[in-house]
Amino acid sequence: MQDQHIASAFDRDLEAIQAQIMKMGGLVENAIMEAAISLETRDEERAEAVRSADKAIDNLEELINEEAARVIALRAPIAVDLRLVLSVIKVSANLERIGDYAKNLAKRTSVLSQMAPVDDSAGALRRMAKEVERMLKDALDAYVNRDAELAQDVIDRDTEVDQMYNALFREFLTFMMEDPRNITACMHLHFIAKNIERMGDHVTSIAEQVVYLVTGTIPDEARTKADKTSLPA
Amino acid sequence: MNDMRILERDVDTKEVKIAARDVQVYYGTNHAIKDVSVDIEDKTVTAFIGPSGCGKSTFLRCINRMNDTIDVCRVTGDIRIDNQDIYDPRVDPVQLRAKVGMVFQKPNPFPKSIYDNVAYGPRIHGLARNKADLDDIVEKSLRRGAIWDEVKDRLNAPGTGLSGGQQQRLCIARAVATEPEVLLMDEPCSALDPIATAQIEELIDELRQSYSVVIVTHSMQQAARVSQKTAFFHLGNLVEYGETGTIFTNPVDPRTESYITGRIG
Repeated sequence: MQDQHIASAFDRDLEAIQAQIMKMGGLVENAIMEAAISLETRDEERAEAVRSADKAIDNLEELINEEAARVIALRAPIAVDLRLVLSVIKVSANLERIGDYAKNLAKRTSVLSQMAPVDDSAGALRRMAKEVERMLKDALDAYVNRDAELAQDVIDRDTEVDQMYNALFREFLTFMMEDPRNITACMHLHFIAKNIERMGDHVTSIAEQVVYLVTGTIPDEARTKADKTSLPA
Repeated sequence: MNDMRILERDVDTKEVKIAARDVQVYYGTNHAIKDVSVDIEDKTVTAFIGPSGCGKSTFLRCINRMNDTIDVCRVTGDIRIDNQDIYDPRVDPVQLRAKVGMVFQKPNPFPKSIYDNVAYGPRIHGLARNKADLDDIVEKSLRRGAIWDEVKDRLNAPGTGLSGGQQQRLCIARAVATEPEVLLMDEPCSALDPIATAQIEELIDELRQSYSVVIVTHSMQQAARVSQKTAFFHLGNLVEYGETGTIFTNPVDPRTESYITGRIG
């Protein structure tokens, strides 16, 4: 298939909209890591910066949706072009949610830094966040390069994030049973772990959009469920 | 890259090229255009849309006084190009039409060679001093019409021997040969296949770097694709005029919305 449309303005519209996605992705990657680092280093100022930076992410989502609506209205995209525009709308929504989770992480950091640290859980959360951030980076690379294989790899790697969450879940449970004074901190830390796990789900959803964009079909849910905390013990 | 795109939308100057005020057109007793006032910008593609018989072609034809050729047609009101009244008795319609080029629905090349089709206008308006000059104008115009590569080896072949899409691009080349400032297009793609249509649309997008282009089209998608400004006509009235993106995503007038969404015709 030829890469270029005869109408070059159409190509420029599509490129511009994807460039906005990449810009948004960069901001979200940064938010994840900054939030996790501020949690580990108990840096309230840094956490505050993450919270205020979320506005830019939200604005970008709005802009992307407006542009996508404009392209649909003016260009009536079909086939691969239609899939691209649809994927752009979904990916921007996923990114926006990840941004919200990072913001929530930063909010809890402000509370947690007033309390005694619970073991090395902050370090473990940072490693988990790092893994999600790497997955997001790969998912976005796969998006730009239309690389379904890399996207599938990202989908598979979400299992690891789920396993990390499982381990932390049990750890927090143990801490709380050992000493009820840990409950407040552990509840916050557990929500953070759960939020990072949810970020991984949204990254997976982005990777699925890449597969859809390249192949035209959404991959089935063949992935084994690794988050078993919701199942009866 | 997004910034680039937004910038591109912004380059459209806000300079008014054609200003129409209270224009009325009558065909005998039929009131075809009612009180139309509109400012058409320079270096912008403006699309006129609306159902058949709504007056969009009639209004287009007022801009280069093509309606003068119809005996029963009467035009009142004020139409100015670069602030000059084009219905002033001192204005020579032939000179006006050199400045305001037109491309019609059906490709209508002269029964002459490809070269002579393009050279005709510059010759009668004395735009070329010698043969080399004229050759230059012909080549430049054919290039602008995005047809040079296809015809450069057969410039002496008859223009009527080209395919429909090529003939229409030849007509566009012919229209731009006199260096017009305004280009009027009356459904230029309605007789063409999708590829030729896309080529003409791409060409229109390029032409707007230098001209004010006004296009009448029955295809709403075409209006959406090529124009920056859209005017919706209905029953001789100009119902709504605005930025194309706005008209097609969030029109103000309920009649516009009904028409573009296929609820009234």
